[in-house]
Order: sequence, then structure tokens, then C-alpha cells
Amino acid sequence: MPSVSQTIRVKVLFFGRLKEVVGRAEESLEFADAATIEQLFALFVTRIPELAKFRPSLVASRNQEFVAWNTPLHSGDEVAFLPPVSGG
Amino acid sequence: MTSPLHDDIFQLVREPIDRSALVRLVRAPEDGAIVTFDGFVRNQFHNRPTLYLDYEAYESMALAKMREIGVHLHEKFAIHRVAMVHRLGRLEIGETSVFIAVSAPHRAAAFDACRLAIDTLKRTVPIWKKEYFEDGAVWADGELPPAPAATPRAKLAS
Repeated sequence: MPSVSQTIRVKVLFFGRLKEVVGRAEESLEFADAATIEQLFALFVTRIPELAKFRPSLVASRNQEFVAWNTPLHSGDEVAFLPPVSGG
Repeated sequence: MTSPLHDDIFQLVREPIDRSALVRLVRAPEDGAIVTFDGFVRNQFHNRPTLYLDYEAYESMALAKMREIGVHLHEKFAIHRVAMVHRLGRLEIGETSVFIAVSAPHRAAAFDACRLAIDTLKRTVPIWKKEYFEDGAVWADGELPPAPAATPRAKLAS
């Protein structure tokens, strides 16, 4: 990552088919303060280009709440990219 | 306004769901009806024989969303108690994956609340199932939960 004036630490969770694509269930990483969830997802896409095709069928959550993709991140946030749910 | 306690039950479990115990737990003398929903593993999907299913959840968020459903049901319907239990892990054909029981003084509210409970669970609770067939496995097609639309950054900055 390029150096930025301030970084925060966030936890990112993956579930279902996304977990299989990423190859892990969670990752803790440092990111630019006030960056958005969309930017965080873009970082993973640069690492795993295959993720890009999932973007239209995902919703984002921050601290267990569904949120908009342009939601800014703060230190300690728990973020997840959620595939369509299929409980029941 | 005080927030009433309802003695509702929201659980994610890895063992078989004890349906009759849940029905007993929501039943009270002031009630006149209990409506239950028993969702269980079907033996085929589009005529393709299913071997078994494997469920996983974003557990902390799933429980939070299940509790939200309960709050919403109490706001909307004249019901007494709600029990909502979803099983995770490997489930065989015929095993119950989700069980919901709603008690109420009168049947209409119990029917309406139980229907809304399962419909909302299937749309908003972060649980996923993988379907295993003779010739492979797939993640089930699901529903995309409604999420807030993007807000202009200016509104978020404060």
C-alpha cells in the first residue's frame, strides 16, 4: 500500500462463494483513514481480479449493518462483502 | 416509552432443532393460537437429486438481524412470543433447517407474523447454503438483501 498520512485497521470477512474465491474467511488489514468500503473492495480486486465480477451481486456491511458502498471506514470496523443470502 | 421484554428466542444451532420444545416455550395461557413454520431439506432441486446441504452464517450479524425481525413483528402484529431458530452445518434430507413459532391471542396475527418472519429471514439474514449433488456442489441462488443506497459524501462528513 502507498503510504498515507493516517492508517486504520479494519477486519474484513468473507462468506459463501466469496470465501472460496478469496481463499480465507477473514483478514485484518491497514487501510487509509476515511476510505470507503468501495475502495476497500477495489483493493481486494487488485489482488484477486476474479472478485470484480461478483461486485454487482454483493451487499456490504459495516459492524453488522447493511451499508452503502460509499460508507467511510473507521478504525476497528468489521466489514463484510455479502453474497445473496440463501437461508431458510 | 419503555421497551417491553417479550421472552423471544433467536438462535443459531448446530444440532437438530427441537421443534416441540420451541412450541412449548412460546405457548402461554393468555394465547389462543400458535402458528409454526418448519423449513426442511428437500430431496431435489429442479429434479436434480440433492445429497445434503451445508449452511453457514455471519453469526453475529445473523442473530442481530433475527432479533430485528422479532422487534418488527411485535410492532406490526398483536402477537405474544416469537421463536426463530436456524440450524448451521451439514443437514441431511428431511432435516429441519429453520423453525419459527409465533404465539398470539388470536390466529390472524400469528399467521401474518409467521409468514412475514420467514419471508424477511430469507431476504435479510446473512445465512448461505451450499447444495451438494451427485456430480458437484453449488452455492444456492439467493436474494440480495436491501441495502442503503449510496449517500453523497458531503452528507456523511461531519
